[in-house]
Amino acid sequence: MASTSISKAEKSYIQAGLLANPPRRADGRSLRDFRPISLETGVAPLSNGSARVNIGRNPHDGSGGTEIIATVKLEVGNAVDDDGLSCTVVCSPSAYPHLSSGALDDLQHDLTTVLHSTLSHPSLRPKNLEIIPGKKLWSLNLDLLVMADAGNIYDALFIAARVALWDTKVPRTRSVEYKNPKTLSLASENMDVDRDTSSGFDTRKVSNAVDFELPDYWDEGQVLDGRERWPIAITLNLAPSVHFVDATLQEEASCASRILAAYSYETPTEPTIQCLRMFGSGELNVLGVKALIKASLLLGRIPSVLNILGRRQKSTQLR
Amino acid sequence: MFEFTSFRRPPETFSVSSPDNADADMDEDYEDFLESGETKLTWPGESLTSAQDYMRGHGTYVDNEQVIASVTGIVERVNKLITVRAARTRYNPEVGDLVVGRITEVQPRRWKVDANSRQDAILMLSSVNLPGGVQRRKLESDELQMRTFFEEGDLLVAEVQSFFGDGSMSLHTRSLSYGKLRNGQLATVPPILIRRLKSHFISLPCGVDLILGLNGYIWVNKHVKQNEREGEEGFDAEAVYSSRNDEIDESTRAAISRVTNLITVLVSHSIPLTDTILLDAYDWSLEQECDP
Repeated sequence: MASTSISKAEKSYIQAGLLANPPRRADGRSLRDFRPISLETGVAPLSNGSARVNIGRNPHDGSGGTEIIATVKLEVGNAVDDDGLSCTVVCSPSAYPHLSSGALDDLQHDLTTVLHSTLSHPSLRPKNLEIIPGKKLWSLNLDLLVMADAGNIYDALFIAARVALWDTKVPRTRSVEYKNPKTLSLASENMDVDRDTSSGFDTRKVSNAVDFELPDYWDEGQVLDGRERWPIAITLNLAPSVHFVDATLQEEASCASRILAAYSYETPTEPTIQCLRMFGSGELNVLGVKALIKASLLLGRIPSVLNILGRRQKSTQLR
Repeated sequence: MFEFTSFRRPPETFSVSSPDNADADMDEDYEDFLESGETKLTWPGESLTSAQDYMRGHGTYVDNEQVIASVTGIVERVNKLITVRAARTRYNPEVGDLVVGRITEVQPRRWKVDANSRQDAILMLSSVNLPGGVQRRKLESDELQMRTFFEEGDLLVAEVQSFFGDGSMSLHTRSLSYGKLRNGQLATVPPILIRRLKSHFISLPCGVDLILGLNGYIWVNKHVKQNEREGEEGFDAEAVYSSRNDEIDESTRAAISRVTNLITVLVSHSIPLTDTILLDAYDWSLEQECDP
């Protein structure tokens, strides 16, 4: 993570503020307060879905905050060796001016790993990415660009990924077959999903669709299946005996460890955990982890307000 | 009241003129381009004047025989040289300025200090007050324990002493009011919003002290009594180089957060910070009884 250097005096000032009663953070927030989150969709016209997220933007002059741009591009992939979704996180050097290019690569790799391993999990895979069953599918390429980092980068990345995927439209496709009068032509929509059909010894009925056409314009289509499932992440920063959300860079530098939990809210009542990571050098026992998971579950409900994006609001501001 | 004139066409031919004439020309040019004492704000891409009459300086470029501003700022002219001083820029140090900086590196006999300038500033071991007497020569043992005075990440307040050949500034903390900072938090603002004031150590009646560094770093901390800070019978090394915070009570902490947030709000409206403005804003926000 970004290594913001702070002095011992600042560190102990921040920690003492967190442990004070009532807790007092540098910008006056309580432990469970997020900074304002701004969202915008449709920012990249050439992509199939895009979003811009800013956490902690100054409302007057629009400066500051953690800013992420996420885009989803659909490409026709081979169903055999493509697993559907690939995430890439790129950090703009201007977001981390103090990092060398090698350190920047490491950071990008870390962020990419967490996002990719969470989002490409089979349980989250949308069902409507098939083009020709067993042969061709839409492969989702999710690219995230970190424009600025003012703390809480993982939450921002997950929000950006979710909103961009929410915004994504999959073009409808129609299979094209060569008419063979002997075999009954099958509409590709009726075929069940079968990934093993590439085998030459397969004797099951195979769609003989060989190509496809796009009835839609490039920016039309249907939304991704199961888009409610895309996870929301909450980072809990652990100061001794308390935890808090949405840390600024100084606060991140002053606490030893963080725990990241990502939840998928397919039904609002029963979230499933998709990712649990711990960063930093601190220690935690099992009971502590359980308590933290519970706490983050409660918090995770709040950003699920993000679902209002379904109403296609161009620009939303929520707290 | 106002008089509008169009730019003069560039002369077709250049002629060498006698000194008397040159003076007259200068005056005309002056009239033509910048009224004396007038400040002109410009925006990027704005055409300033003809490139044949004037030379381009910092913040400008020439396109199509026109001098064009490349930044937003104030147009300045020295004879034939047109420069634009950018409004949002890094800190341009001047000798005697009070700055707040952060140690980035400990080097032999010197510290490197980030002071929001183009280059890191340098604080020599010989320009800090060493423990055990203000006027003490530095010893080899001091060189070996430089991290006990300042270590990486530490914040300090210092004064610009001089410049080195490469334009980086040399700082000194040879005063009892300078030194390491603690008991508070840092706010960062564009340097242009800090005016040069009579004193950059501001004490607000709400128990909060401010150090307005001219480089745009502002230290907001708990009020320290005057005599404690000055340290009457000389110099208390323990206190000056300590990294431990004092006990800070809840109300002071709230006031510090409130002042920091006020600074953020004022800065986002590009209001230059002075003690009176901050004090008025503080009282107003208390009246409104909003959370810090």
